[in-house]
Amino acid sequence: MGKSIVVTSGKGGVGKTTTAANIGTGLAQIGRRVCLVDADIGLRNLDVVMGLENRIVYDLIDVVEGHCRVRSALIKDKRLDNLFLLPAAQTREKDAVNPEQMKVLMEELKKEFDYVLVDCPAGIEQGFKNAVAGADVAIIVTTPEVSAVRDADRIVGLLEASELYEPHLIINRIRPDMIRKGDMMTTDDIIDILAIKLLGIVPDDESIIISTNRGEPAVLDKKSLSGQAFRNIVRRLEGASVPFLPLEETSMVKRILRLFGRS
Amino acid sequence: MSKEACIIKGTKHGLSILIPSGLTFSEVLAQLRARLASAQEFFSGATVYVSTTDRELKPEEKRQLEQTVEEFGMVIGEKEVAEPPVAVAERKDEPRDEASEDTLLVRRTIRSGQRIWYDGNVVILGDVNPGAEIVCTGDILVLGCLRGVAHAGCNGNVNASVFAFRLEPTQLRIASYISRSPDEKLPKPLGPEVARICDNVIQISAYQSNQS
Repeated sequence: MGKSIVVTSGKGGVGKTTTAANIGTGLAQIGRRVCLVDADIGLRNLDVVMGLENRIVYDLIDVVEGHCRVRSALIKDKRLDNLFLLPAAQTREKDAVNPEQMKVLMEELKKEFDYVLVDCPAGIEQGFKNAVAGADVAIIVTTPEVSAVRDADRIVGLLEASELYEPHLIINRIRPDMIRKGDMMTTDDIIDILAIKLLGIVPDDESIIISTNRGEPAVLDKKSLSGQAFRNIVRRLEGASVPFLPLEETSMVKRILRLFGRS
Repeated sequence: MSKEACIIKGTKHGLSILIPSGLTFSEVLAQLRARLASAQEFFSGATVYVSTTDRELKPEEKRQLEQTVEEFGMVIGEKEVAEPPVAVAERKDEPRDEASEDTLLVRRTIRSGQRIWYDGNVVILGDVNPGAEIVCTGDILVLGCLRGVAHAGCNGNVNASVFAFRLEPTQLRIASYISRSPDEKLPKPLGPEVARICDNVIQISAYQSNQS
């Protein structure tokens, strides 16, 4: 029996989909059988980020409505054989599925896979309730902004209400230079407010934008710093104790060194 | 409804009532009354044509029907209309004449999440963006850029085709055939192209006006 993990945030645009894609790909890279589930019905993105959009025939709604079996809706990743995607429907709305149906689906997927990663839509309405249903663990993604942290705090409360305790935290788009100048919330500031376990810190990285647009998760790029951060997160999820990336690494000298592949 | 029911349809000449087989005349009359009574306002004043699937109405039955219909403020038409509903029912089995298929004209861009379904041909005066879906039983013509999903001949018509000024679809489906865009970037098409089934695969070729 596998483990289901929901990636959520409350606020939109903090990097839920990118995080789900990278963690999923990272887990598959070390040999786990992984299924990514896009729960953002009506605004699906995970298929685009994974570069699998053109393979979609059936989707999550077709499965819960019984038009097809789960197997026929799953799309195999083009790079990794043990990574699958269950896409969301684009022409439907969030209320086309309910939490009970999601629970049944999650149970079915957990039998087949080591990890089932659910990409949650922004907001706290029906879409959130669907995504959270049937999840064993929650990962909350936030950015070092007051509004994102406020929403993350709200999510922690809502997760507790649906009996999902001890969520993990990923802080995305950290900019060490701004933190040093005192212009950005530090990881300690954020953990101080949220008081949940830190799973990883992902630096703000241009290569993420490039990889997202290309449909190639950054975790596959050995040179990418954010890819390294996601690889560390994957190892922590697997139970390893990995130190957090040193934030000074983006100093000018180190950056130039990294350009020449001498990190 | 255990048995077939009377079918009431609007035609351009008025209302037509189709009496199915397997019903006794009194059942027909009762059904008709119930239907008409449920929407009295709506039916009142209409001209009615009655047709049957397999039996002749006796003069007595005809008179009773006439009475019923008149009770609800409607008039029985003089003779059978040119296109009785019986013909509509039969037409399903015959191969459809493609030239006479209906065509839907859409004068806007179809965006992500929007889906057009039509029993006939579809013409889009605009683009079809990624995440949008056009599904129809006939041909699809996009007078713009087709970047979404197009499914022509969805009832199994292998002669259906998909035409676009710029054919760059996420996925193309014709009848039960599916093809997807290649993963690697290809040079963009320069002119109008048409996709149709050749040798059991979907093939795309540059559009030439004398072709079809």
